[in-house]
Amino acid sequence: MKIDVKTFVAWFKDRLALTPILKYMTKKEVPQHEHSFWYYTGSSILLFLFIQIITGIMLAFYYRPTLEGANASIARIMTELPLGWLVRSIHSWSATFMIAIVMVHMLAIMFTKSYRKPREVTWMTGMMLLVVSMVFGFTGYLLPWDDLSLSATKVGTNIPMAIPVVGKWVTQFLRGGDDVTGDTLTRFFLFHVCILPLVIFAILIVHILLVQKEGMSVPLKDEIAKKKVPALPFWPNFVLREVIIWLVLLGTVLTVSLAFAPSLGPSADLMAPAPEGVKPEWYFLFLFQTLKIFPANMGPVTGEFVAVVLIMIGIMAVFFLPFLDNKPETKKGKLVTYLCILGVIYAIVFSIWSLQ
Amino acid sequence: MRINNSYFTRRKFLNSILGGWLGAVVVSFISPIVKFVWPPYKEPDEVKLALADYSSMPPGEVKNFPWGAKPGLLKKAADGTFIAWVGVCTHLDCNVSWVPEKKQFYCACHVGWYDENGTNIIGPPPKPLRRLEASVEGEDLFVRKPGAGAKA
Amino acid sequence: MRGIRIWCFLALASLVVPALAAARQASTPDAPGPQAKAEVKADAAAKPPAVAQEAKTAAKPAAKKGEEKRAELIVPAYSDIRQRSAVIVFYVWLWFSIAVLIYFLRQWVKEADRVYKAKYYEPEESPRKGNPMAAGVGE
Repeated sequence: MKIDVKTFVAWFKDRLALTPILKYMTKKEVPQHEHSFWYYTGSSILLFLFIQIITGIMLAFYYRPTLEGANASIARIMTELPLGWLVRSIHSWSATFMIAIVMVHMLAIMFTKSYRKPREVTWMTGMMLLVVSMVFGFTGYLLPWDDLSLSATKVGTNIPMAIPVVGKWVTQFLRGGDDVTGDTLTRFFLFHVCILPLVIFAILIVHILLVQKEGMSVPLKDEIAKKKVPALPFWPNFVLREVIIWLVLLGTVLTVSLAFAPSLGPSADLMAPAPEGVKPEWYFLFLFQTLKIFPANMGPVTGEFVAVVLIMIGIMAVFFLPFLDNKPETKKGKLVTYLCILGVIYAIVFSIWSLQ
Repeated sequence: MRINNSYFTRRKFLNSILGGWLGAVVVSFISPIVKFVWPPYKEPDEVKLALADYSSMPPGEVKNFPWGAKPGLLKKAADGTFIAWVGVCTHLDCNVSWVPEKKQFYCACHVGWYDENGTNIIGPPPKPLRRLEASVEGEDLFVRKPGAGAKA
Repeated sequence: MRGIRIWCFLALASLVVPALAAARQASTPDAPGPQAKAEVKADAAAKPPAVAQEAKTAAKPAAKKGEEKRAELIVPAYSDIRQRSAVIVFYVWLWFSIAVLIYFLRQWVKEADRVYKAKYYEPEESPRKGNPMAAGVGE
């Protein structure tokens, strides 16, 4: 019996039930139409998630999640460890890229209306993934424990206070008490490296399995016309194209990380006044600005309460979009599209506004 | 002799170029990761101590000093010079202590004993304690690895 | 037609991404004012040192060793011309490698597409038997 790769693979195939998976990979087909470019966004997210896991683990080898040690350990990573500053830079930039591509992915699905039946649950798990990604970013932002991140976290964990009934409890859960302390840091670290990864993997598995089960969606007009869209095999044709996109994205993130590596401020002083220019990461800017424009008091309630309620209504509307847009081919569908465009413009305009 | 058709096809050639280049790129990514993850801490080559802390030792006394992350043992010999060892047992790396009554070094992990020169006498330690060179230079006491950076 | 779209997208992305990066850089305050010491190299052209392939140690922080509480910013910056040029070499190597890899991948893509279109069925005794890129159609 000749020992070669095929025999080796066959040994595994005999014992693990890999054959159905491999057969599925060869049989799976990806439709080719004018919007099929957006199919690449999904796997690009996985690329950045993978980069985050690797760089995150590398950073976690040396990071100390305590009030005294956090800033100093990152300073050590940046100065003493070989290419530590680059690892941190890649982790920071890849977070930005990942959330950007998640948003692009969401918008692509939104405007092609791929959330329509039977893909409603896929959309909802996708929205949950978006929220989890943003919470990842939020928890990670505190970990360097410098002035900016401390202030941003104080503001961010204060927001749930405006929610009626449960608000105070949520804030106390997030902060580990009434105020942001060393306990908050340790807690956020645990969220960031243990709880959120488990959550994201759980939701991701459901999301990906659903995508495989439902198959790739085709544009609405093709579905209505019951047109048979030409398709490419997933393996190897589509995967090879995906690899090209991954290479370009990898090169981009490396270039940007090298060129614009983040700096590290001195360790945060809990008693110091808030520094100038406190703002959250870019993906929270539009929410931040929305909160800022409401006046302090609006009748019997605070402006912040009204803002939080409106934001929650907005989030719910997007979450249940497949049910709101249940007749996508009609005029109602067009109305929803225009509302979505309006939403995107609102997010962009408010984000830019908050930077002024 | 020119062969018209070859089993080593152009496809195979291009595939191997691609595979080779891809492999090179992957290795160039792996090696910084490995360097990062492998502990960067090394033992120091020399340690500078303040002579004042140790000059008042009577001959025969042993004191600890920091040798990187390990404890070092400093003993004042009868003639006033200093002898230094790395205070780590050569068996399984436990820290050893000086027992003045017996004038021996004792490792509590597996009951190993070293005599006053650091030679292993009783128990599992296979080698004597690692010697370091101690020299007084002005106000400072320098402890160095023996030889020019050569590990004992 | 699809190919042109991808190039347009890439060109756009290559403009948007540095703009985003520059905006991010500009909007992050460099240091809380009174703590910025003389050693802080916080200029906009600050670039990081070291090359990915070699084991060069990391950024120069301008922080005093053994200081209990660090008062200044740690900014990744070049310390000599060698580091600056090493990074340029790395950029060139990186994008050249990516270009080469994409060239080969495109050849593979064209091959895979051709094989699929021709509905090529793999005969058992062909010299391409060990080829992992053989299409699974009809296997």
